[in-house]
Amino acid sequence: GVLACLEMLESRAHREAVEQEEKEKREEKSAFLKTKIRELRLQRDQLRKKLEQLEKEQLGKEGIPLDPPLPSPREVLEWKIGNLRDLLQVFQLTGISGKLSKHGVCFSLHTAFEGSFLDSFHLELLLRPEFQEFRIQRHSIPPFIPLEQLSRKFLPSDLRGFLDSLFQHLNAFVGRRHQLEQFQEQFSEYIQGNPQRNSLCNLLSFRYQIPGKSGNSVFRAQLLYEDPCRSLPTEVSISCS
Amino acid sequence: MDETVAEYIRRTVLKIPRNEIKMMLQKWGFLSEAQLQTLNFHQIKDSISQEVVQLCEENSADIKQAAVLDIIYNHIYQNKRMWSVYQMKKSGEELEYFDITDFKKKFKGRLRSALKNVTITFKEYEDNAIWIRVAWGTPYKKPNQYKPSYVVYHSQTPYVFISSSVLKSNLPLLCQALIVASNYHDIREMELRSHSLNSLKDIVFKRYSQNFQTYSPKPLQGETIEPESADIRIVQENRSEKERIHRLNQEVFGGGPQPKLEFAQYQLETMFKSDPNMGVLDKKEPFRCLVKFSSPHLLESLKSLAPAGMADAPLSPLLTCIPHKARNYFKIREKKSLFPESFVSP
Repeated sequence: GVLACLEMLESRAHREAVEQEEKEKREEKSAFLKTKIRELRLQRDQLRKKLEQLEKEQLGKEGIPLDPPLPSPREVLEWKIGNLRDLLQVFQLTGISGKLSKHGVCFSLHTAFEGSFLDSFHLELLLRPEFQEFRIQRHSIPPFIPLEQLSRKFLPSDLRGFLDSLFQHLNAFVGRRHQLEQFQEQFSEYIQGNPQRNSLCNLLSFRYQIPGKSGNSVFRAQLLYEDPCRSLPTEVSISCS
Repeated sequence: MDETVAEYIRRTVLKIPRNEIKMMLQKWGFLSEAQLQTLNFHQIKDSISQEVVQLCEENSADIKQAAVLDIIYNHIYQNKRMWSVYQMKKSGEELEYFDITDFKKKFKGRLRSALKNVTITFKEYEDNAIWIRVAWGTPYKKPNQYKPSYVVYHSQTPYVFISSSVLKSNLPLLCQALIVASNYHDIREMELRSHSLNSLKDIVFKRYSQNFQTYSPKPLQGETIEPESADIRIVQENRSEKERIHRLNQEVFGGGPQPKLEFAQYQLETMFKSDPNMGVLDKKEPFRCLVKFSSPHLLESLKSLAPAGMADAPLSPLLTCIPHKARNYFKIREKKSLFPESFVSP
């Protein structure tokens, strides 16, 4: 009873002493920081005064306020060139880019499939603004792409439509061909003989078996790609011999 | 086995250089690997061919298989033949789903309906080329296997490459069969001939090097003109002229290798231009003459004319337009108009 009371009193006293100590410390610190703030404010005011004085002196000399230093013309030009280069690179990444040539415009079509850039094709158009016409001067488009047909359909009025459509045809063709090449590479044990294809890769047939699963039976698959602008087949037929 | 077939195989093997016989027989695939092992390729060709014929006898070869061996030989030695290019025209604009089985059937059907005695053989290659060999007979004679025609066709294109047999009378029939089989309605011969089949393909398929103006992220890789000499005492006097020539050449010919043509022929029907006082020609008639440029590699030699100092740059467009116009036979007539230059007929 009594000892417990005494202990309690002792701990309470101890606690209060600690709190008192901390309070004093805080007050000390606060006072210290307050003086510090006052000192810094004083310093700032002094520096401001000094700056104003210097500016007044400069003004007195030239009469023009000082600007931050201008970039040199060379730096500006380099920045502009860098910017344009990046822009051209962005255009190339979109797939269709162009450049004015001696006779007209030269378009470059860079095809891609699933993240890898594949073949590039070029097309030079002769510009004749007086006749409102675009004529194909030179090109490196393969002969099985219906270039004539597309130019008759879209040119001269719809150049963008022409390029878009041509690009879709080329991309789809390159995509189909790429898929076939990958297929032959990665599934060589499954395929029997050589797959039969045509130039546009829009009709494909091959014989295959699944090692370990199909036993002795050989399957024959035929893939038809009806849409020339798509790289996926529209009709697939599989037969078993 | 038929004696004519045996003789044909013997003669075909004799054409092949000795060190290539084994490879070609393997490509042929008609004789088994075991049978090929029994052949001694170190003896004289006469003996090799006799042994091959004997093995073919064991396998009962017929003319169809022999014809395949002939195609293989001609595919490897395609540059020994002269190839002409033909262009087909289509009326409709529907999309084609070229089916090789369909093509073969139509081709054989059309030919056989006109001429019973023909041997028709097909072989497809990796690059999508369809090779067709046709040996021609008459209604009364069996086909002459030693003078066949060869046709190379890439599906869904309007171009056909033909190496004609000497029997030219069969050409119209061949052309007919081709347009029927490939769903076109007309065919005409282009003014383009060469021994190099691949170069002809490069020209009409637009695969040859053309100089297109593009923005490329990598710096252009043109050939560098002669590098600076190590010795600073040597100075290039006409450096700017050399660079001008180089630049013009690049513009016209592009940076890559040129298609291989052996000649370009210009038939001139132009008026001879001379000092009127000289009166070389009494009559004012067109001066007819034929100018033919020949070379083992015509376009490369034209490309090197200006840098070698033998001609002024830029070269005449009559010479540089050859791959673009896809022709190496030209007729030049007078153009009756404002321009005094000659007119190239299409």
